[in-house]
Amino acid sequence: MEGRDPTMKITKPEELQQHPEYKEVLVELLFQLADDDFILSYRGSEWLGLAPHIEEDIAFSSINQDTMGHAAMYYQLLEDIGIGKADDLAHQRPSSERRNAVLLEEVNGPGHYLSEPRYDWAFAVVRHYFYTQAKKVRIDSLKHSSYEPLAQVAVKINMELYYHLMHWRTWFIQLTNAQGEARERMKKAVAKVFEDFGGVLTLGVKGDRMVEFGLIESEKILKQRWVQAMKPVFAEVNLDLPSEFGMKRGNGRNGEHTADLDEAIMTLSEVYRLDPLATW
Amino acid sequence: MPVVTSFRWLSEEEKYERFMERINAGEKIEADDWMPEDYRMTLIKLIAMHGISEIMGALPEKEWVPKAPSLRRKLGIMAKVQDEMGHGQLLLRVAEDLMAPLGKTREEIMQDLFKGDLKFHNVFHMPAPTWADAGLIGWLVDGAAIITQTNMLDASYGPYARALKRICAEEVFHAQHGESIILALAEGTKEQKEMLQDALNRWWEALLMFFGPGSAATTGTSKQDITIKYRIRTKTNEQLRQDFFTKYVPRILSIGLKLPDETMHFDESKGKWVYKQPDWNRFKEIIRNNGPKSKERLRLRELSYHNNAWVREALSGQSAAV
Amino acid sequence: MSDSGKGFYQVFEVFSRKNDTAPLQHQFSLLAPNHEIALVMAQENFMRRETVSDIWVVKRSDIRMMTEEEKESLKRLDNKDYRTTKGYGYLKKKWRQYEQQMLDEKEILSWKGEIQR
Repeated sequence: MEGRDPTMKITKPEELQQHPEYKEVLVELLFQLADDDFILSYRGSEWLGLAPHIEEDIAFSSINQDTMGHAAMYYQLLEDIGIGKADDLAHQRPSSERRNAVLLEEVNGPGHYLSEPRYDWAFAVVRHYFYTQAKKVRIDSLKHSSYEPLAQVAVKINMELYYHLMHWRTWFIQLTNAQGEARERMKKAVAKVFEDFGGVLTLGVKGDRMVEFGLIESEKILKQRWVQAMKPVFAEVNLDLPSEFGMKRGNGRNGEHTADLDEAIMTLSEVYRLDPLATW
Repeated sequence: MPVVTSFRWLSEEEKYERFMERINAGEKIEADDWMPEDYRMTLIKLIAMHGISEIMGALPEKEWVPKAPSLRRKLGIMAKVQDEMGHGQLLLRVAEDLMAPLGKTREEIMQDLFKGDLKFHNVFHMPAPTWADAGLIGWLVDGAAIITQTNMLDASYGPYARALKRICAEEVFHAQHGESIILALAEGTKEQKEMLQDALNRWWEALLMFFGPGSAATTGTSKQDITIKYRIRTKTNEQLRQDFFTKYVPRILSIGLKLPDETMHFDESKGKWVYKQPDWNRFKEIIRNNGPKSKERLRLRELSYHNNAWVREALSGQSAAV
Repeated sequence: MSDSGKGFYQVFEVFSRKNDTAPLQHQFSLLAPNHEIALVMAQENFMRRETVSDIWVVKRSDIRMMTEEEKESLKRLDNKDYRTTKGYGYLKKKWRQYEQQMLDEKEILSWKGEIQR
């Protein structure tokens, strides 16, 4: 890894006091990881009861629960560092402080989860599949992170990703290889996801520092691995894999977000905001 | 049981006699076994309604899934609503196997729901406007469901009994999930306590209705006699309602809530709870899909079904090709 | 039960194994358009709260089930102790005459470990 001091390992949050710059970059990375999983699992939770098939609704919900569980683990790491309580970090922060990729905050489709939801299953499958593969690549790298509490969390999260990947890959391949309307919908969803997929793969302005501190490998390497993993799948469904991915609606890693995220935060914190100090 | 040399040579009467002997001996009837038509039809109606009620029942609580006030509450209620869908899945499978000889599948179940031919449980037509409603549903609606479902754990129809066994095991988690939300509110701020009392007031009548009318005289129809004859259940609607009061009224009072029925008391001499009857005419209206949220929730279910039809179409032809 | 043919709603029976030495156990059935989709839904539908080490999905139309009448063929008389150790219980006394212990099930199954000399 470039510029990494191989002896540098931080084993406990307390040690971070002596490394303020390291801490700052670590916090940035943890927010990216936590916010990504949190907002996508929130979007997934809106689907509950509305999936195309009852059995799939149940399977999908398990994946959303796992993913929100992962977010909770990352927020807990932030809490352990003294950044704030996990629940406050998840519910209280305005969109300008969020670090998730813009792709993951996008609404599931037209309508609201309580009224006239016309959610797009093709978009759900493509977004979740591509994101999960990116998450897998990231997690494999984080298993060797210089911040050992994060490396330990990565080992745990990795366990659940096999199922998530298998599940989404199956849906992706079958629907994309189906004829007619389904294939067209899937192609459209793939194009739409690629428009903002650069935002998932980037580590933001502090990415280089993350690499220097041995927190994670470079976004260039991670992107290559993602492409490597997806190549055979794209061949199987007979689609072209682009070499560049867009950030059409901004770089969420730098706090750029859409109105979709503001709306989501309002909803997900509706009860919490009634009384943030109360026990719920 | 008489030794059967060849089952198909038996007359319909002999088959029925043999069937009733099996029922009375406590044997389980399986999907492909011979069964009288009214047994099959009663089961289809009961189990399809039970199953679709779970699916529709996911909707009022689901409103609160994205809004739950902490990470742990979000996870807990997601798992709970997922279970409701899961219970619906189990029950619909049982109903679908019973309907298969009639040439019906899940497709027809959904169509019957949309047409209004297949009813869903009265409680799931009601609004759930606050977080306390989500907790109250988990605590008391699930509590009521536990009372009716445990009553059928020994049902003579094997697949239903097996599904209920799975369901009741998960209901224990649901009950505790509901209690956890309720107790946090009951021990919370003044506003939280008020929110909880309001939810109880809102749900009380629906909870009384949950167990169904005391007899056919109340609403014109009641399936309870036939379900008891065929050993699908053992207790009457009123017995179940009384059981519910016995288990839950002391708990409701113990956490400082007030019952929204001032006449309610336990009559020692009769050994019965005395309570104000709900408006059974309103009950009839509600289950005819004229409840406060009936149309809206049916619309959600129907929209998601049609909106995703392309997914089912896409994969419906390739069973051999994959 | 009619569940053959094509279509999205096909019946699959789900089986699982608790651990590597446990027998396969039937869980429940689900509807899926094909084996692959059935498999990715199976665990979360029926085993959300238990760990398993293997899952099988079997299309129900591939299963030959018994009819109600055929189940009569499962009944048998209770006169087959020659098939079981119950029919050989007298050996215990016999071996005692030779000052040897009977090799019962407990003893024999214990041989997988070290044999005491």
